[in-house]
Amino acid sequence: MGQNVGVPFLLLIEDDDAIRTALELSLSRQGHRVATAATGEDGLKLLKEQRPDLIVLDVMLPGIDGFEVCRRIRRTDQLPIILLTARSDDIDVVVGLESGADDYVVKPVQGRVLDARIRAVLRRGERESSDSATFGSLVIDRSAMTVTKNGEDLQLTPTELRLLLELSRRPGQALSRQQLLRLVWEHDYLGDSRLVDACVQRLRAKVEDVPSSPTLIRTVRGVGYRLDSPQ
Amino acid sequence: MKRAVLAGRRWTSLRLRLIVVFGLVALTAAVSASGIAYWLNREAVLSRTQDAALGDFRQEMQNRAAALPADPTPEELQRTAELMAGSSPGYSVLLVEEKKDGRKVFGSAGPDSFRLSDVPKSLQDAVAEQQKVTAANDAPFHMYWQRTKPNGNPYLVGGTRIVGGGPTGYMYKSLATERADLNALAWSLCIATALALLGSALLAQAAATTVLKPVQRLGDAARRLGEGELDTRLDVSGNDELADLSHTFNLAAAALEKKVADMSAREESSRRFVADMSHELRTPLTALTAVTEVLEEEIDGLDPMIAPAVELVVSETRRLNNLVENLMEVTRFDAGTARLVLDDVDVADQVTACIDARAWLDAVELDAERGIVARLDPRRLDVILANLIGNALKHGGSPVRVSVRTEESTLVIAVKDNGPGIPEDVLPHVFDRFYKASASRPKSDGSGLGLSIAMENAHIHGGDITAENSPEGGALFTLRLPADLTAAEAGA
Repeated sequence: MGQNVGVPFLLLIEDDDAIRTALELSLSRQGHRVATAATGEDGLKLLKEQRPDLIVLDVMLPGIDGFEVCRRIRRTDQLPIILLTARSDDIDVVVGLESGADDYVVKPVQGRVLDARIRAVLRRGERESSDSATFGSLVIDRSAMTVTKNGEDLQLTPTELRLLLELSRRPGQALSRQQLLRLVWEHDYLGDSRLVDACVQRLRAKVEDVPSSPTLIRTVRGVGYRLDSPQ
Repeated sequence: MKRAVLAGRRWTSLRLRLIVVFGLVALTAAVSASGIAYWLNREAVLSRTQDAALGDFRQEMQNRAAALPADPTPEELQRTAELMAGSSPGYSVLLVEEKKDGRKVFGSAGPDSFRLSDVPKSLQDAVAEQQKVTAANDAPFHMYWQRTKPNGNPYLVGGTRIVGGGPTGYMYKSLATERADLNALAWSLCIATALALLGSALLAQAAATTVLKPVQRLGDAARRLGEGELDTRLDVSGNDELADLSHTFNLAAAALEKKVADMSAREESSRRFVADMSHELRTPLTALTAVTEVLEEEIDGLDPMIAPAVELVVSETRRLNNLVENLMEVTRFDAGTARLVLDDVDVADQVTACIDARAWLDAVELDAERGIVARLDPRRLDVILANLIGNALKHGGSPVRVSVRTEESTLVIAVKDNGPGIPEDVLPHVFDRFYKASASRPKSDGSGLGLSIAMENAHIHGGDITAENSPEGGALFTLRLPADLTAAEAGA
């Protein structure tokens, strides 16, 4: 991913000066290199110039809001994004996840929690030495960390990729949302199942022939999801 | 459903009463009018027939029977009777001549042959009785009549005696024609009465409809008003009592609507104030929270004079955080914007994790089997459990016993502590916001919102929490949640 593997480079987009300064301070102390922007426009500009490893994005921004920033980034980039949101049960979370965020943190956020989430997201992109697996026209190369469909490379975010890898490790076996939250997001027992659902939707949009009638990533009612070769 | 049935019954009852009253009035009027008409007619018809027949008979008696020779032969008697009956057909004649030796000679003629035995004894006696001739009574014998009904057929029987000796004559006239006429009259009157009743029922129905329709409209409007449609109004037409009532209803509804609008506006503004305030507080708190960790990590290296101040700042920031967090949670419930994020979770795992995450494992005895899977919001279940168990540990002391079981489709989680229990006067208020059990109680580090938030979280699941003192001592809080909220989710 990033050029400097040891020190993750983050871009923090937050409009409130006090929060921005405090989070920058806290994240720097956790060993991150932090660039900051006060608006979405500035953040997008900075993104082009600096290539961070991950973006921490406030939802409530003047001008273009966090969701729009998220959507614009996703048009060209599979960079991990963590949202700073007001409340876990807000509609904000759903909209944020639909616009392509990988995870979210609820304000007031503790530096340690944010750091743990950042590290968990970054770990998803790490390579692992393993073989490849084939599901119909879908080929998952675990050592190269690439996914091809009909020979074409698919652009997956690290979270989508990790979700696909975890599912492909147990083909035909249903994994519950809570299991997936632990495996992919490294969340504790209070993980938000909407993260899984949103990510599965995005993944289906990329790997399925017809996303509305999936043949690869199936929903197992009352349990969760499983990955199967199409019959 | 039940209310509709009740309303329907009441509705018919008023209608029924109107119909019954109308019917009774019509029946009384029709029956009395018909009765009087029938009676008068009957008298008129009968007396006319009777007067004509008896007058004719008297005439015949004078003309023919009186002309008989003394001691007539049976042939003469018979002939005279035939002449009498024949001259004016319609009645039968019986002439009786008592011979000196007591033998009776008869002569009879007419359409209805009858004998002396057909003549009532009382009439025979009256006819035979010789009265004193006085100023008031000019003759020793009079004509008498009676109506009889031998074999169910009505007859007029009359009799008289020739003054100064002669046969006794009886006439016998069938009243069948009159009876048929009167019966026809009675039938017509009955039919008229029935028509009057029918008419009155229809009238009553119409009257009931005119009265009941506005009443029903009023009832519907009142019900809608009760169901919260405060803009319900009635069209006022006419100026009768019902229009007055509708007008009064409209005024009352308008007043109610205004009052409710005022109250909800006031409530809304105070709710908004709390929501805005907690939102505003959160921004500086977010910044504070982020830096307090930095401070906390540096405490060891700080001046011993400064370190306690920093510690205080850190701990109080955390407390303020909790308070604001709880306030926001409460305002979200009040505003109805709280949402469920459902997932299928193993309840035992969830409870264990909740206890584990707060380092309560040593203080809590857990009685739960794995494998109880419920569809609920895990974060909210955690909030409920943390508040119930935390409260039990704080006020009851360890060990706290938590048991999980299912009753039919309800998930039941009981949290029982070992403390003194809850005083009876406090029990109804344990779920109230900021309710302190006693003024002298030491200041707790809780926000005073914990149990109230737990209750709201149970309610949003369609569940409930009850508080009681267990018979073995100690407070017992029981959480009941529907185990499968798929239906609630679909409806949300």
